[in-house]
Amino acid sequence: MIKEINDFASLFGSSLKLDEELTVRKQNRIFLIDETLKKTAPKNFFYAGTYLGRIVKGKLYPSFELLTMIARKKANEIILDKKTEWLFICGRDVFKQGIVKTIGPSRKGEHVLVLNDHDECLGYGRILCDLEKTKSGLAVKNILDIGDFLRREKQT
Amino acid sequence: MSGKAFFIDRYRKLGWEHSTTRLKQAIRINSANAKPEKTLERLRNLGLKLEKTPFLENGYWVEEAKFSVGATSEYLLGLYSIQEAAAQIPATLFTDVKSKSVLDACSAPGGKTTQLADLMHNTGVIVALDIDRRRLTATANHLERCHVKNTALCELDAREASRLNANFNRILLDVPCSGNPAADKGWFNRRTIKDVQRNARLQKEILAATVKTLDDNGEIVYSTCSLEPEENELNIDWAIRNLNLRVEKIDCYGQEGLTNVFGKTLDASLSNCRRIWPGQTQGFFVCRLKKGEPT
Repeated sequence: MIKEINDFASLFGSSLKLDEELTVRKQNRIFLIDETLKKTAPKNFFYAGTYLGRIVKGKLYPSFELLTMIARKKANEIILDKKTEWLFICGRDVFKQGIVKTIGPSRKGEHVLVLNDHDECLGYGRILCDLEKTKSGLAVKNILDIGDFLRREKQT
Repeated sequence: MSGKAFFIDRYRKLGWEHSTTRLKQAIRINSANAKPEKTLERLRNLGLKLEKTPFLENGYWVEEAKFSVGATSEYLLGLYSIQEAAAQIPATLFTDVKSKSVLDACSAPGGKTTQLADLMHNTGVIVALDIDRRRLTATANHLERCHVKNTALCELDAREASRLNANFNRILLDVPCSGNPAADKGWFNRRTIKDVQRNARLQKEILAATVKTLDDNGEIVYSTCSLEPEENELNIDWAIRNLNLRVEKIDCYGQEGLTNVFGKTLDASLSNCRRIWPGQTQGFFVCRLKKGEPT
């Protein structure tokens, strides 16, 4: 479990130190719980503590809390302007003109966390072109954004 | 025994003249995730006009919004939640919740669970129960959106709470109820007195089962969004006589609970409960209970 999470964090040039004892796998979902919750939570819980993501066929699909945890560390990030922030949350890819700041490597194929101007993590994506060399056009492919909460509401 | 005239006549006998109300949308600022004043500033910058709800610390009525308040970055980042004003009251009635163990016995869809976690600043532990898998999923989404970290969500009927093998300092019983016409336009056409009686029985069963998991010095907050005395004062009167519970004084919005219902005199301490007739908010009933005789 920790390996999948560390591998995922490394996509952003980051690393997380999680206590294996406090990570719990429920079917394909992974949770991080604290000592108090570990003592109190029923063993057959549906959800507990901090949801980190789910693993399907060996691939980690991260939670937003996990992305936020990575964002708090040193990680590859882009920061968006207000208009682009909303477009990203609506599931759209990011145009170069909407990126106000880049932190860390910005080469094609790299993964980046996507933040707003309050340093809040909105999701993540994959860089489509070398950001330093590009002036305009599509720059980052949206992989996951917090608009997912709205999409889930529609499903439930 | 159903229909609008039947229920309106009951309300009149209980001291309330029915009138149609238009509920204002309300939000609650999640203070654990950001400074409330910062969140308010961001919302005002978006063009949202808010009015402070006078009886709530972090509650605001939405006076004007040119967009859905459930579709902003701030909402999706868990900086606030959409929660009707009266529904924000129950979780605030515990004397203190930080670092406590809390049972939220009927938690879905999770508005009060996230509020409790916010009041606890993610300290202590909440065990939140519900029996509906689909609603548990919705609650889990709320927990994730609001960055809740101290909660375990379990698929369990509140009447089987003793299976948790745990005792709690605080128990929130926001029990399943018949609802009220202010929050449900089709209410009068749907509800009958049999529904009310069935819900009242279920609520008693939940009270009886969960009180067994309460610490000796623990507190229960009981709430419904029903106006029917069978689900409120009559149930609490029953709990005083049968479960060795007492009603504590609370300082909150609403009128005193009824001590006489359709000619039946109830325990005088029922006046410590709060009955909220629809008006500024939807209908609600709340009270705080402790074990044993008054001190």
